[in-house]
Order: sequence, then structure tokens, then C-alpha cells
Amino acid sequence: MALENEKFNEDKINEIDVNELDCRDTLTFWEKFGNIFRSKSIWMLHYCTGCGAMELPPTMTSRFDMERIGMAPMATPRQADVLLITGYLSVKTLRRIIYTYEQMQNPKYVVGFGSCTLNGGVYYDSYAVISRLDYYLPVDLYIAGCMPRPEAVMSGFKKLMNMIKKGEALGWKRYQKYYDWYKKNQVRALGEVYVKDEFHE
Amino acid sequence: MSTFLTATGLVLLAFFWQITLSGIQRKVTARIHRRVGSPWYQNFIDLFKTWSKSSISHGFIYDFGVLMALGGTIATLIFIPAGHIVVFDKLDNFFVITYLLAVGSLGMAMSAVGSGNPWASIGVMRALTQMLAYEIPYIMAVFAIIYANKTASIHAIALAQQGMGILGWNMFRMPLGVIVGFISLMGMLGKKPYDAPIAPAEIASGPLVEYGGKHLGMLMLQHEFATFVEVGLFVNLFLGGGTLLAFLIKYFIVYILATMIASVVARFKIDQLVVFYYKVPLALAFIQTAIVIFTGLG
Amino acid sequence: MVLVYSMVSFFNPYWMEKVIHPAAYNLFYLLSLGGTLGVFYSKDFLTLFIFWELVVWSSMFIIPLGKSRRATVVYYGISTIGSFAMLYALLLLNVKYGTFEISTVINKLSTDPKMATLFFFLIVMAGLTKLGIFPFYTWLPIAHGNAPHTFSPVLSGGLVKMGGFIAFLITAVLPTSKVFANHLQILNNPYENYILMILGAISIIIGTLMAIKQDDAKKLIAYSTVSNSGYILIGLAMVDQTAFAGGVMHVFNHAMASAAMFLAFAAIAYRTGTTKISELGGLIKRMPVTFTVYLIAIISLAGIPPMSGFASKWLIYQGLLRKGNMFIAFAAFFGSVGSFMYVFRPLAGAFLGQLSPKHKDIKEVPFWMQLPMLIISGLTILYGVYPGLMLKYIAKIQTSLNLPAIGVDGTKILTPNGMWDSWTVTLVFTIGFIIATILYFVLPKAKSVDLMDTYTSAEFIHNPDLYHYSSNYYAPFERLYKNHPSVEKFYDAIALRFKELGLLVKTWFFNENPAFTVFWISIVITAIFMWGDKI
Repeated sequence: MALENEKFNEDKINEIDVNELDCRDTLTFWEKFGNIFRSKSIWMLHYCTGCGAMELPPTMTSRFDMERIGMAPMATPRQADVLLITGYLSVKTLRRIIYTYEQMQNPKYVVGFGSCTLNGGVYYDSYAVISRLDYYLPVDLYIAGCMPRPEAVMSGFKKLMNMIKKGEALGWKRYQKYYDWYKKNQVRALGEVYVKDEFHE
Repeated sequence: MSTFLTATGLVLLAFFWQITLSGIQRKVTARIHRRVGSPWYQNFIDLFKTWSKSSISHGFIYDFGVLMALGGTIATLIFIPAGHIVVFDKLDNFFVITYLLAVGSLGMAMSAVGSGNPWASIGVMRALTQMLAYEIPYIMAVFAIIYANKTASIHAIALAQQGMGILGWNMFRMPLGVIVGFISLMGMLGKKPYDAPIAPAEIASGPLVEYGGKHLGMLMLQHEFATFVEVGLFVNLFLGGGTLLAFLIKYFIVYILATMIASVVARFKIDQLVVFYYKVPLALAFIQTAIVIFTGLG
Repeated sequence: MVLVYSMVSFFNPYWMEKVIHPAAYNLFYLLSLGGTLGVFYSKDFLTLFIFWELVVWSSMFIIPLGKSRRATVVYYGISTIGSFAMLYALLLLNVKYGTFEISTVINKLSTDPKMATLFFFLIVMAGLTKLGIFPFYTWLPIAHGNAPHTFSPVLSGGLVKMGGFIAFLITAVLPTSKVFANHLQILNNPYENYILMILGAISIIIGTLMAIKQDDAKKLIAYSTVSNSGYILIGLAMVDQTAFAGGVMHVFNHAMASAAMFLAFAAIAYRTGTTKISELGGLIKRMPVTFTVYLIAIISLAGIPPMSGFASKWLIYQGLLRKGNMFIAFAAFFGSVGSFMYVFRPLAGAFLGQLSPKHKDIKEVPFWMQLPMLIISGLTILYGVYPGLMLKYIAKIQTSLNLPAIGVDGTKILTPNGMWDSWTVTLVFTIGFIIATILYFVLPKAKSVDLMDTYTSAEFIHNPDLYHYSSNYYAPFERLYKNHPSVEKFYDAIALRFKELGLLVKTWFFNENPAFTVFWISIVITAIFMWGDKI
């Protein structure tokens, strides 16, 4: 079960880091047009595996009211635009995250919430927790903090909206383009856990 | 040709009016919850956004059901008299509208179950059970109206009420009937105490679980049109229709009232819901119908 | 004259049936077919009775071919009640009027309301047993569920409708509304007719509730037949302009719809060997034609426009509304909305959802099995869009019965409470569908994915069988009437008593020696003769 630390050594994980590559290309008129709507209406699937879920109720309800910027929680990945990953991600949940992400409809965005998705946070040396989410999924935006306050969440989403409007939130295109790279990382991380799924047919 | 133009006008009216109202409805709910709420045009943005996204298909019936749902609901909509706008006079029979609406529901149910997701099946099961619960009291209440007016044509019923002034509305002539009608309307709209079929946190939004992109958008549109049909039916039957302006004002009041009730109550379980509908509204509907038939009052 | 016209509406379901292997089956099948035709053509009651018995006997021998003896016993037992009631009525008539001729008898009865009431109830008993109306419905699910797959559609589409014919004969040909005009009127109906309507209403509710519960598709359709027989009986018992037309039309519509449903499940059973909904699933990918046929049939059965079932149910509603029969109307609406539930269950459980791995390689049924199903579906659509084709004949029947004829104008049906124009509705529906289709194809193209690639709350699931929701479909609703009272239990209790009585008689009066039997028989015969002498 236990993954050895070396496997998780980030230097070894791959030679190139696709997050630094630019995958911007010219947008057609319809894409620009669609981006206006996409930026105003964000449906969120919150995947609250870690501790971050606690910050969402105030964000959604009357204290901060997420709905006023056009955001709404959704029940299933098929309907959602944004995958909000709160807190640390154990290897076991990573598998679910990937499955969920692949069920979402394009264009789709990933928001990493809290330090754990960014660099592992307090779990940076844990054997069971992955420390950088963007090796496995294309993250469009991180909201740092442990925990980030609802204000930070709101301003983060506001930023995501601007990015979408300008056509900069292109994680889903990167995922399509460098699919092999992501898949390799995913399989490497999930390697020794025995579950019958698409990684272990 | 003029029929065609009126029909187009009616569909466009329903589109803009009902989606705007949905936005306002969200705003109203938010205000009751002491939130700011989304802008009134939010539902247009949501709709266009879903249309701009990619989507998946689980096979032929999954697509066909969506088309059948939207097509059937548009067809139903055309038969609803909205104020002056009456596309097919005399053809707007109550039963025709009720059962045409079922075409849309059947399409949606078929498509949802065709996706192969058990959540969807559970949602459809609940939706059908709920339909059995609310339709019977509603039809029994309308039975009294049709019996009293000797016609099943919605437009004729609305006209008959206008002829008698404000106290001639069925709302005042049949006070029990209007209570039943309104409770059933809430069930039809799937508003809060009766939203077991699409319970998002419980069965992952039920029939809608697998839809994304344009399929979801089309079903949202179908839902808005169906809402227009249902509320429009209620306004014509109980509140006397009226001119286009009066119709829209009455529509607004009924819809917002339903929203306000919905925003402060919790959800019924599906079997509680059936028991409730068969206890209170059905009894009231029977009393009302018996009064109309045996005493001729109302 | 009347009989010929109603024959037209009855005849059709028969020749569509697929004839199957064993010779005995063929023989009895043809016998029952001939018998049914005979019943519809017969001019006097005795012929009618003989043909009637012919049908009962031949079908009785067919049902055990489906390998259940109990089904036969129940079927025959209940048929016997009807047959004896009818026989008694006929003999009574013969004693009194000295003739079996239908028209003569009817004429004489018209002037003798007391006799007519007795006759009415006795004869209608036979009709009720065949229609499967409330106290006598128990044979339907058992016999339908156990009969050979191909005979079930005949049972439902034909034999049951024979009961409808008797009801038609007794309520309309015998002009009940005139004969019973001086009797107690309940909501503008003579109480005799109202009793029939109440029985019909009870059957609708029981049929609907029981059909919702069934897991075996054939039993489900059988219970739906109980429910629809209720509609037919209500329509016929109203004997007016609209509902009567609706009732007669519903005979035909329901015959087609239930025959198509039974055939669809016969096709499924032909390929998979089962009609249990919980064992099937996802068959639309493998048997698309069967699915289409079933879909059209259920749209008609549930009374959704523009299929033919809507027109007849709509006419019945109009009639009920006109007279303000609210309690009957409640049952009618309950059955109609409830039918959405029970017709959807096989659709969802057997045709949609996940395809079970054990049915991975099945194919569509051969063309000759598809053909009858397609013809029935075509007729359903045709009569749905042009109900006038059928209503013209019904109007003639009504005229010959001195009822106001149903108003038909092209595709429009005119009733006092409003009209129904199937052609416009179909047209508008087509336009709506075209708008939706255009919208669909303008928007971005959808990617095709597998049925197992669904939202599972991010869990990995690999077993389509377990992932298919089809057993206990309406569990929350069924729970509400789990402990319902049942006539079946009552009948079972009676059957048990009879059995015990038989045993008692046997132990007291008989032993191994046949001479004792002969002795008792001769004693009884002598006793009867002497008693008969006294009268």
C-alpha cells in the first residue's frame, strides 16, 4: 500500500513540466462569445475530500453569497464547469478526482483550494498524500491559505472569471494536448494501489 | 400564416417572460434568505452557457428523448391561451393540454433512464409517483370548473370568468378548488416541499444527473416552457386569464407566491407526499366538486 | 347489422397473431378464433352461448401449454360462474318467452323492466367474468402470465373483448337507458348501469395498483387489461353520445395496444427466455424494432396524444364530465395517470438502462415476428391521427341503436364539451419536434460514450447487472398499500372449503368399491326425478 517516498519525489516525476508550456491559441469568434457567458455563469462541483469544505457554507449562504456573481453548486460533474478541490488529496481520492474530472464537459476548470493542493501543505511529506495537484490535473487557479477565508475564495473566483473571459483559463486544452504526460504521472502515483479501474485493467 | 406568427410570438413570449421570471424567482428566494442573489438575467446566461459547452450522448434514445421532451413541450405551449394570444381557439381542451404535457415528461423520463444511471431511474420513479399524487386532486378540482362551465376549452372558461367581473373568477366561486389547484401547481412545478424527484443533494438531481452541455440546456428550456404551461393553465382556469397584461401580472403573482412558499419549507419524502396529496387536497377537491355538482353553487 | 359493424372493430387483432409450433395449439387456436367470430355473428342467444363455450374450452386447453395447471383451473373456474349465469338466464328466457332470438328477446324485455333487470345482471355476469372486472379479475393475471407467450395477446386482445361484446349487447342493444328509465337514477344513470360503472371503477383502481407492483411484464400487462376493461365497461354502461363511442373505440384501441405489448414481450421472451423485468435491461440496443413497437403501444395505452388511445379515453372523460359522475371520473383519472407508472416500468427495466452481459449477443427477432407488431403499431398511429376512420363506424352503430351519433368532421371529433383535432395536434407536435431538432443540430456535436460511463459519485462500478435499477421500481409507492385486502385470499379460502367439503363427502359416502359410487348416483338421479315430478 505504502508508496515509497522516492516515487513521490517531484524531481523525478517527469522531465518537463507542462504547466510552464504555453498552450494559448487564437480564439474563434464563437469561443470569445461563449467565454462571456461562461465567465458569468460558473457551476461548481465541490469535491470536499479534505478539510476545506468548512469554508464553503459561509461562501454560499447569506454571509458572502456566491450566487450574486453567478455561481451555483451543482450535483454532478456532467453539469458542472468548475471542479473545486478542497484541501489535501490522498492517493485514494486522487483516483476519484481524475475520474470525476474526465466526466466533466469541456470547457472545464480546476481550482485548487488551500495550500495542500499547491505544495502539500502540512502533509508535504506524507506517504499517502500527493503534494502537487498540477502534476495530475491541469489546475487553472490556486487559492492559497490554510484555510483560505471566504473572502479569498470569492476573490479567487472573481479572478477565475476574468481569466475565462480573456480566454486564459485553458487547463482543459492543456489536458487534451499533453494527455500522455498527465496519464503517466497519474499512473505513477496510483501505481501500487490495487483497484480494478481504467488504470489497472 | 397568421396562426404561425401568433404561435411564434407565443413561444418567444414564453421564452423571454419565463426565463426572466426564473431569474427574478432566484432573486426573491435570495432576498428571503437575506442574500443579494443573482441578477435577473442570470438564467439567460446559464442557458446560453450550457449551449456553448460540449456534451455527451449515451445512445440514440438519450438524444431522442430530449428532442421529444422539448418538442412536446413547445407543442403544448402553443395550445395555451395567454391573454389575447390564442393560437388555436376551441382546440385548447384541458385534457389535451394535460396529456400533451405528458409527452414532454415521457420524453424526458425515457431519455433519463436511457442514460443508464440508476439515480436517473430513481428520479423518474419519484417524478411519476409525484405525478400520480398531484394530478388527481388537480383534475378533480378542474372537473368542477368544467362541469360548471359545460366546456373544457381553457379559453372559453377564461372568457366566462371575465364576463362576470372579479367575483366571477373561479378563485372566488370555488375557494376550495383554488387551494387544491395551487397546492397541485406547486407539485407540478416541482417547488420546494415537492421537489423529491430532483433532490440534488440526495439523488444527484435525479433525472438530470447525466446531462451536460446542450442536453442540459434543452431540458432547462423544456422546464421553463413547462412552467409557463402549468402556471398559465392555473391563471386561465382559476384567475380568469384577462388581457395579455392582466395575464402576465396574474402569472407573476402566482409564480412569485409559489416561490416564496417554496423558499421557506423543507422537502417531503415521496411517500409522505402521496399520502398528503390523497388526504387533504383530494378531500377538498371532492368536497368542492360535490358542491358544484349537487348544489349547483359556484 | 350492429353486430357486423362491431365485428369490424373486433376482427382485426386476430389475424395478426403469430401462429406457433404445436399442432394442438394450432387446433385450439383456430377453434377459439372461430368461436369468437361465432359469438360476434350469432343471431340468437343459444348460438352465442355455444360459441362462447367453444372459446372457453379451446382456450382452456391452450393455457396449460404454458405449463401451469393452476392457471387453467382458475380460468375455468371463473369462466364457469359467468357461463352458468348466462345459461340460467337463457333458459329462464326460453321458459318465459319461448325463443332465443336476440332481437325478439330484446323487444320483449323492453316492456318488462323487472325481468330485464334480472336478465341484465345474469348476462352481464358472463361479460364481467370475461372482461376481468372487479370480483372476477383474478383469472386474468394468472392465465395471462402463464399462457404461452403468443396466446397472451389473443387472450387480452380477443377473448377479453368478447366480454366487452356481451356488455355492449346488454347495455346498448337492450336499451338500458330506456328500459330502466323509471328506476332509481344515480347521477343521471339508472342504478343498474351505475353498478356496472362502479365495478368498472373498482377494476381500474385495482388493476392500476396491482400492475404497478408486478415484476413479471406479462402479469403487469394482464393487470393493465383489468384496468382498461374498467374503462370499456364504464364507457359502454354510460350509453350516451360520447362515452359510449369512447368505450367502443377503447375496445379496439386497447386490443391493439395490449396485443402489441404482449407481442413485444413475446419477442423478448423468444430471445432471452424470460419476461421478468428485473432480469432484463438495455435491450433497446439489441432489439430496436421491438422497443419502438412497445413505445408506441404504451403511448396509446397511457392515453397520450397523438396515439389512438387518447381519443377513446378522452371521449370517456367527456361523457363522465357531462354527467358529472365525479367518483367514476376519479377512478378514470387515477387509472390514466397510474398507467404512466406501470407502462414505464417495463420500458425502463427491460428496454432502457444497462444491458446485462448475459444478453450481450442477442439479436432482433426475425422479420416475420416483427411484421405483425409493426402492422399493429401502424394501425395505432393511423387511428390516432385519423380517429374518424373508426368513429364513422361507431357513429353508425350509435344511429342504429337510437343514440345520438358521435360528431366526426374529418380529423376533428366534436363533443358538447369541446373538440379534439388530432391532425392539428400532430402537426403542431411535429413542428415542435422540428424546432427542437434544429436546435439540437445547430449546437455543438455530442460525443458518444458508453452506458457504464455515468456519474457514480466517483465510485468505480463494473457490474452492469448490479448497476441497473429495475427491481422494486416503485418501492416507496408500493409500501403505501402493502397490506391491502385481497379478493384472491377470499377465493382461496372458498376453494379450500370446497376441497374440504369434497373430501368430507368422499370419506363419508364413497370407498374403494365402484359399486358404491354407482349406488349413490342412482339414488341421486331417482331423487331428482321424483322431485321433478312433484312440481
